Amino acid sequence: MIGSATLAIYEREMRKWLRQWWQIVFIIITPLMWMGLFGKSFNFSRFFNIPQDFPLRDIVNQAIEELIIKRFFGGYDYFSFFVVGMMSVFILFTNMWSGMSLVFDRRLGYLTRFLVAPISRTSILVAKILASITRSLLQVTALFIIALALGLKVKPNISIADIALFYITLTILAFSLGALFTGVAVKITSHDLVISIANLVNLPLMFASNAIFPIEQMPDYIQAIARVNPLTYANIITRYAILGIGTPEDLVVSFLYLLAFMAVSISVGIVIASKKFEE
Amino acid sequence: MIDIVVEVENLVKIYPGGVRAVDNISFKVRKGEIYSLLGPNGAGKTTTMKIITTLLKPTSGMVNVGGYSVIEEPQKVRKIIGYVPQDLSADDELTGLENMMLQARLYGYSKSEARRRSIELLEMVGLKEAADKLVKTYSGGMRRRLELAMGLVNEPEVLILDEPTLGLDVQSRIHIWDYIRRIIRENSITVIMTTHYMEEADSLSDRVAIIDRGKIVVEGTPEELKSRISGEIILIYTENEADKQVMDKISTLKDVIDVDKIDKVIRIKVNSIASTINKILNLIEREKVGVKSISIEKPTLEQVFIEYTGRMFRDEEPVDSRRMIAIWRRRR
Repeated sequence: MIGSATLAIYEREMRKWLRQWWQIVFIIITPLMWMGLFGKSFNFSRFFNIPQDFPLRDIVNQAIEELIIKRFFGGYDYFSFFVVGMMSVFILFTNMWSGMSLVFDRRLGYLTRFLVAPISRTSILVAKILASITRSLLQVTALFIIALALGLKVKPNISIADIALFYITLTILAFSLGALFTGVAVKITSHDLVISIANLVNLPLMFASNAIFPIEQMPDYIQAIARVNPLTYANIITRYAILGIGTPEDLVVSFLYLLAFMAVSISVGIVIASKKFEE
Repeated sequence: MIDIVVEVENLVKIYPGGVRAVDNISFKVRKGEIYSLLGPNGAGKTTTMKIITTLLKPTSGMVNVGGYSVIEEPQKVRKIIGYVPQDLSADDELTGLENMMLQARLYGYSKSEARRRSIELLEMVGLKEAADKLVKTYSGGMRRRLELAMGLVNEPEVLILDEPTLGLDVQSRIHIWDYIRRIIRENSITVIMTTHYMEEADSLSDRVAIIDRGKIVVEGTPEELKSRISGEIILIYTENEADKQVMDKISTLKDVIDVDKIDKVIRIKVNSIASTINKILNLIEREKVGVKSISIEKPTLEQVFIEYTGRMFRDEEPVDSRRMIAIWRRRR
């Protein structure tokens, strides 16, 4: 399926990316600020610190532990809960720009070179999507290691299979988002519009998911969005894999949901992309 | 029998919105020749090229390249053509060699073949030393040469050059022409070229089609076309548009073949400049025509263009340096 043309274009994308070291610095620094500023300042155990002289202190403490910390955060500190959830958000943040290189290739006339070559149009898109997935997975790996240094606690019995599940989940998510945003970029030739669309979806998708807060305490209308948001399902899986939060049933349902989402986004991407290539 | 490599028949392209960019064009290109489409910007040259290179679908008509229809079998056409687009489109964040190798691999060359072929071509266009430099450090002429080499990477049967020297100074342009001639000689390749530079069409092409407003107005070898303009031409640039009366009087002078007027320019075709120039000058002085300058032209493709379209060839740059310009001062 992956032909030599796809490989050649993929290599070009990666070579260009690696050549711009400052770009790599930025895709680490921005998420790091989220993790450091947001993840560390929302320390829930501090919120629920009961004063020494408060009557029933032990009972309240126990109630908080059982009803909030264990139930929502699996007994972990907020930072661990948040950081694992944010990995899918970083996948979104990186892959929603996957269409940009296509927009610029068109603008700079480079796309013409691909279009006059005897290669399938799909191979151009597949190469760009694969490059975007690679970039985001490398980014997530770096951030995960940094998070460990900053105090992320993984579940004690974590195995290779859990790590694999973490990566498979994020790859599915990255592929879906890459296909969707690259497909859109075939249609849209203005980079301003691509930027606007990316900016329109990034924060709502992040906040209306379980990345930052458990969705149970959200207002109904946000919950409604969160329940169709693929980030929510990706996070259920990654938190199960890394932190051990949740049940195997949730895991299966979430995985099926993500597969369905991938099928839909690839189809939508193909439908949007198929019309516009030849004028 | 002469092999026809590119065949265009009754080609029409109407863009959404109703612009008729190409209006029933037909031509045939023989194997091994350089065929030029010459015309001003917006004449429909690039649109024609885009259809031949499968980038654009025609509204109607037929285009065959190497026996394959661009509509029915675009992939087969793509395999046998090399395209050098008008815009500089090599990736300037990659090196010359990386650009070449990527291009080669798009045509199915293995990595090692791609490298060998790339280096060979870079050497041919004099870029071997610059092969590992980023393209953004290249000069305009170097970039044009790289584009040329990229167009040749798949050993095409037909090379399509869309304004190959656009934006270059005269010296670099002549340099590129030498490369194009060499490539054609060494590779026995067929070339279709568009240009709006008269000298380019004149010095490179075996045959030229002059194209204006989406139509081919005349076609032939540069010599044939130029020989169709018999006599010599005097252009009088006037301050105001000349009266019809003046024009009529000029046309009755002896040895004047034809007179016409394009905006503020009177164009007079004469049998012999020597025998007519004085009479014409006297006449326009008598008629009190305000004259800015006068020039005398040898037959050029520009004159052919004016002859066939009735319009001046609008160009961003001054055309034809062979023009003799005499500043006409009022004698008193």
